[in-house]
Amino acid sequence: MPVFRFILQRVFQAVLVTLAVTLFVAFAVRLTGDPAVMLTAESSSVTEEDLVRIRDALGLNQPFYAQYFDFIKSLVTFDLGNSFFRGSIRDLIGIALPSTLLLAVASMGISILISIPLGIHAALHKGGFSDQIIRVLSLVGLSFPNFWLGIMFVLLLSIAFPILPASGFETWRALILPALTIGIILTATNVRLVRTQMLETLSQQYVMVARAKGLSERSVIYKHALRNAAIAIVTFLGLQFGNLIGGLVVIELVFNWPGMGTLSIEAIAQRDYPLLQVTVSILAIMIVAVNLAVDLVYGLIDPRIRVA
Amino acid sequence: MPETTPPKASLLSVRDLSIEFGDVSSPARVVDGVSFDLDHNRTLAIVGESGSGKSITSLAILGLLKHLGGRVAGGELLFQSEVLGRQVDLGNLSERELRKIRGNEIAMIFQEPMTSLNPVYTIGSQMGETLALHQDLSRSAARRKALEFLDLVRLPNAKWLLDNYPHQLSGGMRQRVMIAMALCCQPKILIADEPTTALDVTIQAQILHIIRDLQAEMQTSVIFISHDMGVVSEMADDVLVMKSSKPIEAGSVKEVLGQPKEPYTRALLAAVPRIGSMTGTTLPKLFDIPGQEIAPEEIPAKPVDRSKPVLEIENLTVRFDIRGGLLSRVTHRVHAAEKVSFNIYPGETLALVGESGSGKSTVGKTIQQLQEPVSGAMRFHGQDIFSLPTEDRKAFRKQTQYVFQDPYGSLNPRKPVGESLIEPAWVHGLVTSQAEAKEKVADLLVKVGLPAEHAGRYPHQFSGGQRQRLCIARALACDPSLIIADEAVSALDVSVQAQVVNLLMKLQAEQGLSYLFITHDMAVVERISHRVAVMYLGQIVEIGSRPQIFENPQHPYTKRLLSAVPVLNPGVRPNRPHLEGEIPNALRALGDEPAPVEFVAVSDGHFVAAQA
Repeated sequence: MPVFRFILQRVFQAVLVTLAVTLFVAFAVRLTGDPAVMLTAESSSVTEEDLVRIRDALGLNQPFYAQYFDFIKSLVTFDLGNSFFRGSIRDLIGIALPSTLLLAVASMGISILISIPLGIHAALHKGGFSDQIIRVLSLVGLSFPNFWLGIMFVLLLSIAFPILPASGFETWRALILPALTIGIILTATNVRLVRTQMLETLSQQYVMVARAKGLSERSVIYKHALRNAAIAIVTFLGLQFGNLIGGLVVIELVFNWPGMGTLSIEAIAQRDYPLLQVTVSILAIMIVAVNLAVDLVYGLIDPRIRVA
Repeated sequence: MPETTPPKASLLSVRDLSIEFGDVSSPARVVDGVSFDLDHNRTLAIVGESGSGKSITSLAILGLLKHLGGRVAGGELLFQSEVLGRQVDLGNLSERELRKIRGNEIAMIFQEPMTSLNPVYTIGSQMGETLALHQDLSRSAARRKALEFLDLVRLPNAKWLLDNYPHQLSGGMRQRVMIAMALCCQPKILIADEPTTALDVTIQAQILHIIRDLQAEMQTSVIFISHDMGVVSEMADDVLVMKSSKPIEAGSVKEVLGQPKEPYTRALLAAVPRIGSMTGTTLPKLFDIPGQEIAPEEIPAKPVDRSKPVLEIENLTVRFDIRGGLLSRVTHRVHAAEKVSFNIYPGETLALVGESGSGKSTVGKTIQQLQEPVSGAMRFHGQDIFSLPTEDRKAFRKQTQYVFQDPYGSLNPRKPVGESLIEPAWVHGLVTSQAEAKEKVADLLVKVGLPAEHAGRYPHQFSGGQRQRLCIARALACDPSLIIADEAVSALDVSVQAQVVNLLMKLQAEQGLSYLFITHDMAVVERISHRVAVMYLGQIVEIGSRPQIFENPQHPYTKRLLSAVPVLNPGVRPNRPHLEGEIPNALRALGDEPAPVEFVAVSDGHFVAAQA
């Protein structure tokens, strides 16, 4: 069963990567200093005995591998323990993760909906007026820093013309600005990718063969060319998801969006290491999971991968 | 159209066709004033070298020019369409009506079978698409019909093929699928654009056979585009010769190939290597091309002195590991070369022939030390190379030089050619000053028949044939005693190929060079070689002098290879035994080693692998 083995192989790789990433996170967090000291940094009257008691309570006296094992166990069972200052980590994640996913999916969706038709159009009219415009706009989009674009949107659409809320999470309308900001930044790259990939596939012999069969131009472009171009596009979108998460952290702060980005920035600011360790690991696992999904989808689109 | 149209008009009548590309203000004319008629059940061959406009003409017939940025600038393409029920001009038909004709009444097969099929759809879906479009068949009816046509092109296991993907098929099988797909709507015209150029010679013979059979069966008219005169001679009823976008000569195949009137056609035919034309001679012979720079009389053929070999290869074995499974362990090995042995003598050309996957290039690369052997010995002027430390081996590398197939990829596009030519000489310390280098470059260019002042030009300013001359010049820069020419003339147009082959022979006569001439082209081999070694699945199956191999082939594979070569004998249809089967590959499971070949002497110097 080559298909089954292919999936098994990819899942196996994803698990290995996840273990490596969590190991690194757990290790790196501990490098930043003694959590017991950090926890008590605000208060003035801490004795050495207090610190020992705190370390005991947090399990910091145990060897690293035991702590790491506990950490993995807590991730797997989703019994994530308490943060230093904010109570149950599970409750915090329970709010932050869905809102981040919502924003990620919305912005990715916006970018796909805009970039695929525009990219195809530019490829079909290569060198024409519309192609030039699309390429210039994409370059402009590439040159914006994401937070700057976000702030501009707020200034324009929430302050100068108060159409949309600048922050918060209460109504669906609050989603529009942050999703649009990230969506536009992603579109700028994606539209170029779609254009190049379509140009590449349209120059293939099988496209000419499809035309010589008498198929309509629609069928040639959407059935024969796009499906082949999609192979590279999907791969790229998976890789882009990592950048997207990085961008989300910034944009969530700009729009005060209560997501994983905001949560992890706050954890860093408060030196809340149990929370930090969990948020960073979950973000990393998300990226790994998306790339696993991409690998599997890739196998669906391209039959050559399935047996390889 | 006046009403006096003759009752039996040609199926397709092309009148004074001109095609232009680029800006309307400054167009490039790629086809200029071409006319021909194609009648029912006839085969018209359009022949010409690269850039003659033959492929573009065929795309114009399908109305596909605009997708390449071209347009019909003048003339008519009159086609008797049954679907549309009238005579139409394909040059200015609406896209809508053209689509009814494409794939239905006029179908096409392309040159590159490896890229002609869409990799992400099954064979069945790609064939069914055409049938559903033009014949309005249901899914199951389309499937039955596709199966029927896959059987017609004699593809084994047609049912399995329908649900599988192109990458699982060899080039020859893909081309058969293409033929099945093109023919499944029973077109009136089949356009075949170099359909066998990318295929091995035995596979080519199979494909040509299938096209001929099906044409006779289905009464299809064929437009056959080719640069290969042998193929044209076997396939065509009528021939149109084109040269740099203009028609040169047209007529029946007997007239054009048998008694050519135009000097260009004559020159083209003189350059075609014809198998069997050297029967009775023992030494290589230059092509006699009218108006050529090297006259054959100038180069006396010398017998080879076989007392001391330049190169001795003994039991050379090269294998490639194939890894698989979760832990990427070696599961299979490609036995690219198994116990290959031969000698090359000073001033001698040994041709190493075989089809794709035979291991011939691997042997060449191993000799050039681009590839490490698993075992075996190589002696160069008596010195064992593989036993030397790496440092000392380098010195021998300059004495063997490699000329690759692709002259485009093997010269640095950003360097003047003079610099590229002299680079190996610098590396090996053969020139020490700029003045010396300059003089040497001029000398090398003149040797390969190019003006010395071209040293400052860049590769893109040269034609394909000139670039291959440059590659030969670079190989000569180190005064090698052996040149390995790996398909060095295969990508060249036939007239250019003849000139480069002549150049190689002239250099051999002047400098006593030895060649290892690696190729699949038996006709060129007959011209250039003193001795021939035939490789099959990594092993030499037959070796001997050129007359021994060509006039008295012993091994079945040698016979098969020779019989598959298209013969330029206009008006005579080949009567070769039908060749079946794929070329197997040399992939074997771990531990499953091929049996070593035992050689039997046929006559003096002629050995053939004993058959089990």
